[in-house]
Amino acid sequence: MAEEKFPINIWINEDRFAALQKAKLAGLCEEMLAGLKVLRVYANAVERDKILKVFPTAKFDSATTKSIELLPRDVKDKIFDKIVEKESVDIMADFLKAF
Amino acid sequence: MAEIGHGGKEIVERIMEPSQAAAKIKGLTQIPIRSQLANEVIGITYGFFSPLEGFMGKADVDNVCKNMRLAGGAVWSIPIVFDLSDKEVADYGVKPGVSVLLTFGGNPMALFEVEEVYDYDKKFMCQSVYGTDEAKHPGCARTYQYKDKFVGGKITLVNRPKINPPYDPYFIPPLEMRKRFKEKGWERVVAHQTRNVPHTGHEWLMKGAWFQAYAELPIEKPLVGVLVNAIIGDKRKGDYIDEAIILTQDELRKSGYFGDHNHLTSLTFWDMRYAGPKEAVFHAALRTNLGLTHHMYGRDHAGVGTYYGAYDAHHLLATIQKELSIVPVYSMNWLYCPHCGEITSEGLCDHKKEWQKFSGTLIRSIVQDGVKPPRLIFRPEVFDLVMESAEKYGFGSPFVTDEYLEKRIPVFEIPPM
Repeated sequence: MAEEKFPINIWINEDRFAALQKAKLAGLCEEMLAGLKVLRVYANAVERDKILKVFPTAKFDSATTKSIELLPRDVKDKIFDKIVEKESVDIMADFLKAF
Repeated sequence: MAEIGHGGKEIVERIMEPSQAAAKIKGLTQIPIRSQLANEVIGITYGFFSPLEGFMGKADVDNVCKNMRLAGGAVWSIPIVFDLSDKEVADYGVKPGVSVLLTFGGNPMALFEVEEVYDYDKKFMCQSVYGTDEAKHPGCARTYQYKDKFVGGKITLVNRPKINPPYDPYFIPPLEMRKRFKEKGWERVVAHQTRNVPHTGHEWLMKGAWFQAYAELPIEKPLVGVLVNAIIGDKRKGDYIDEAIILTQDELRKSGYFGDHNHLTSLTFWDMRYAGPKEAVFHAALRTNLGLTHHMYGRDHAGVGTYYGAYDAHHLLATIQKELSIVPVYSMNWLYCPHCGEITSEGLCDHKKEWQKFSGTLIRSIVQDGVKPPRLIFRPEVFDLVMESAEKYGFGSPFVTDEYLEKRIPVFEIPPM
C-alpha cells in the first residue's frame, strides 16, 4: 500500500508567484478553491508528527482536508525558499533536517 | 404577555433597580470573581440560562450529571457552578442563609444569596458531561481547575455591565431579542452558533438552514430570520480575535449577502466547554430563551479532537426532542465544486472526485499567508474587515496573540456604583 502523504499548502500571493515565475517554476503551482494558486508540499506521517511537534501552532486538519495548516508565515517562507532553491516540491525531508 | 423560556418557565430578568441596589449591598462581604463566573452571572440574571435563577445546588448538579436534567425536571446538560476554596469559604464566612456581594474588576456586580455549600466528585462530573475524564479535554481541564467547594444560591445583578465598542450593539438579552423578532415580523428564527469569521461554507450553512426553516410558510413577506449568536468567552492563541468575528458576521448582512429582513448578529458570553453533544443540548436551551424556533447543527457540533462522533449531537438531541421548544435543523457540509462552479452541499452534488472541501482552519491558513481568497470562498468585504480589525484591535494580527490577550479591549466592564 502506498505511503500516506499529508500536504502543506503554500498559498501563492503576488510576491511568491513573481518569485516562481522568475525561477521558471510557476508550473509547479496547482489551482485549488475556485482558482487559488497553491504549492503543495507533502509530508509523510513521521514528518507530519515532527512538524506538529516543532511548530506547536500548526494543526492537522483531520476532519476536512487532511492537510497540515497554520504553520507560521516565516516557516512557510522558508519552505517556499527551499522549493525555489531545489526547483522541486519534494523538499520536506531536507527542510526538516534543520530541526 | 409572559415570555416563556426553556423548561416552560417565564423568563424574568433578575436585575435590581439601581435605587434599591446600593442599600441592599451595603456592608456585605465582597467576593471578587473571574471572567468565567462574571459571564455566567450575566447568563443567569438576563435570562439566557432560564430556568436557572442562580448557581446550581448539589441536587441540580447531581441530576444534570446523572439524568441530563435539573432537579425540577427540565432538560439541562452542563453544570453551572460557583467554586471557592475551603479557605475562601472560611475567610468570606460563606454559609447557607448568608448573602455576599460578587465583584468584578473591583466593582459591585451581583448579590449572591447562599443556600448551600457542598462537595462534588469532579471526575464523575467530567465523565458524565464530557464522556471522558481525561485532563487534556478542555472541559475536563476547566472542571479539574475548580476549587474544592461549590456554592449554590440565587443571583441578582446589582450593576449592569457596560458593553464596550464594538460589541455593544450585539449584546441583546432574551427579552429584548424577543421584541426585536416581533418587530421584524419573523415567525421562525434559526440559530447559527459560531466562534468563527465566516467563509462561504458558513454562509451557506446559514442559507441552507434558512431554507429548511422556511418550509411551508408563505413567501409573500419575510417570515424567517437567521440569528448569528457568537459565543464570546475564553480565547486561545491562534483563534480569530473576537472583534473580527462579531464584525465580519454582521458584515454579511451589511454587504448584502443577507439583509435586515432575514439576518441579525448577536453575542452570548460563555466559556466554551467543548462538550460536543451536551453542549448542543445547552445551546438548545440558550437559544430557546433567546426566542429562537430552530437551531442549526452541523458536523461535530461544539466538539474537540476525536472525543465525539460527527453526529453524536444529532443523536442525543433526538432523544429529547419532545421536551425541547426548539427544532433542530441538521446541516451537511458545504464545499466548492469546480464542475458546478459554485458552493454546493455534499448531499446535492455528485461530482465527488472534483470536490474541493475547505474548513475554517484552511481559510485561516490562507489569511495567515497574506493571501486574499477568491470571493466564492471568502467574501472580499469579510477579508478586508478581518485585516482592518487586525490593525484596529489585534495589534497587527487577526489572530489571538499574547499581546492581544494582555492588552485587548475588555468586552465588558462593571462600572463603579
